[in-house]
Amino acid sequence: MARHVSIPAFLVLWETLSRSGAIRAVFFPPFSQVMATLAELAVSGELWGHLSISLLRALSGFALAALAGLPLGFVLGGHSRSLFELLDLPMEILSQLNPFLLFHLVILVMGIGEAPKITMVAWTCLWPIAFGAMSGARGVNPELVRAGRAFGLSGVSILSRIRLPAAGRQIFQGLRLALGQSLFMLVAAEMMGASRGLGFLVLDSQETFQLRKMYAAVLAIAFLGLALDALFGLLSRLLVPLPPGQSANTAGD
Amino acid sequence: MTPAAASRTPPSKNIAPVALGGKATAQRGMRMTLPRRSPTRFLVPAAMLALWETLSRLGLLDPQFVPGLADSLAAALDMTRRAFLLTHAMVSLARVALALGLALLAGVPLAFSLGHAWPGAFRFLEPLLRVLGQINPYCLFPVFVVVFGLGEAAKISVLAWVALWPIFFGTLAGLGDLDPVLARAARGMGAGKASVFLKVAIPAASPSIFAGARTGVQMAFFILIAAEMTGATAGLGWLVHNAGAMFQVPRIYGAGLVIVALGLGLNRFLVFLDRGLFFWRASGPGQDGLPRPGPLALALALAAALIVLAIGLIGMARAESLLNDPSVVPEYRVWTE
Repeated sequence: MARHVSIPAFLVLWETLSRSGAIRAVFFPPFSQVMATLAELAVSGELWGHLSISLLRALSGFALAALAGLPLGFVLGGHSRSLFELLDLPMEILSQLNPFLLFHLVILVMGIGEAPKITMVAWTCLWPIAFGAMSGARGVNPELVRAGRAFGLSGVSILSRIRLPAAGRQIFQGLRLALGQSLFMLVAAEMMGASRGLGFLVLDSQETFQLRKMYAAVLAIAFLGLALDALFGLLSRLLVPLPPGQSANTAGD
Repeated sequence: MTPAAASRTPPSKNIAPVALGGKATAQRGMRMTLPRRSPTRFLVPAAMLALWETLSRLGLLDPQFVPGLADSLAAALDMTRRAFLLTHAMVSLARVALALGLALLAGVPLAFSLGHAWPGAFRFLEPLLRVLGQINPYCLFPVFVVVFGLGEAAKISVLAWVALWPIFFGTLAGLGDLDPVLARAARGMGAGKASVFLKVAIPAASPSIFAGARTGVQMAFFILIAAEMTGATAGLGWLVHNAGAMFQVPRIYGAGLVIVALGLGLNRFLVFLDRGLFFWRASGPGQDGLPRPGPLALALALAAALIVLAIGLIGMARAESLLNDPSVVPEYRVWTE
């Protein structure tokens, strides 16, 4: 319990500094006022519209990335070394293709709408997912696979009963990383061109100099991120048991 | 979670041999570094580029949306000759370097004092620091703009903030990995506290600091492009954004190719330094059996980097006059927003 004292301490410090005028309350409104604004936004319903559209965009981008990235990573990691060597450099090049660059290109083709934002999120999520699945698949102990084959398991059951469980931890690490990044990119995409969403709310409040609203929106994004991460952490602990003799060392929960 | 979280999570014992020193090589998630010398690895990229050009020549790609590779490169060349493309690239690099410097100046001493000198304070502050490290930098950008105004300071402080956390947590991880036997051995041989710190703790942590800096640079470069798109007068992101605003499609692609190439080059440069500098490390780049760069190559590379940075800094200071330079053709000068 004592470990978590620092966060409330920080909030109290913020509150006192701002109220006492040590930092300018115009720029840094007290925490309590920001929370009150957040509550107002929630009560008036303004928050939920932005939140739900942001969540929808983030999750659909994430889902697309998982659909593409998991098989891609697993095939690259689980199969021949030569295939990996062939595709490693192109993947490195593609992963350098900045999502903001992509944003401009997708807008050209599909126009301003949901597509550029979701593409950007999916593109960003794709890499941690694919690389996670790849390193998971590469790490499967070949003895286990050989043992499975010796017991007469078919290719499908080797995949479902040996390879996937053995790689599960790293697959989930990649997915979790990607989930965090999905929100990350989405906020940027919504700042670059949107009329709804939490990122838009932040930028719009900043441009109209409603700083309390801006901080409230920032907090809402932070809470959404924490909630998604916690939910996912729970899910991964249910689905992927930790290997024996190892404690959970995941950050952020 | 931010991309840096990958490098912050200590690699667990049974994953480490697979990821080949995961922490050190973790870039944008969990990549692996394997010896790669085989020329076949250039096959697929070359084929992709050839396919792009062929499809465009055959008229299968609408040149209004996807110009061919040759046209994109021609646009990049044209921008190089008439719109200071290289200067813009160096301005972008200089921003990243400034941010990296700030992040190192703040992050390394902070990590050393919390991890080495006052572990008690660190246990108290850790949850807060982890939460701060996970703040979305795009959310911070409006906050920094409110505080610093729409200038270089806001951009560079966001980048520095982004680079700070991988460096801070990387340094901490390096200190945590420090073999206590080494410190005791040094003390047994008569070293004082100061020289144990200088000759054992700092060298032991330096590969991790560097790994953190590498992640930080990559993330900063990523976010830089976005920051330059939303309000700058120079830099590669700005070039793309303006080309987009003016529907100069080949220019978007040309500048985009330069961004991708620069990102790759930056990464390779850092791996090169990593391989040359930290030769004693048991795993990570440089432990793949391939020859390591010698001191002369390292010195030359660093000198080249310094020259690029100097030009970038001058370009940054002169961004406005760069745009209004009489040698810039009017069609490029309209880029001023």
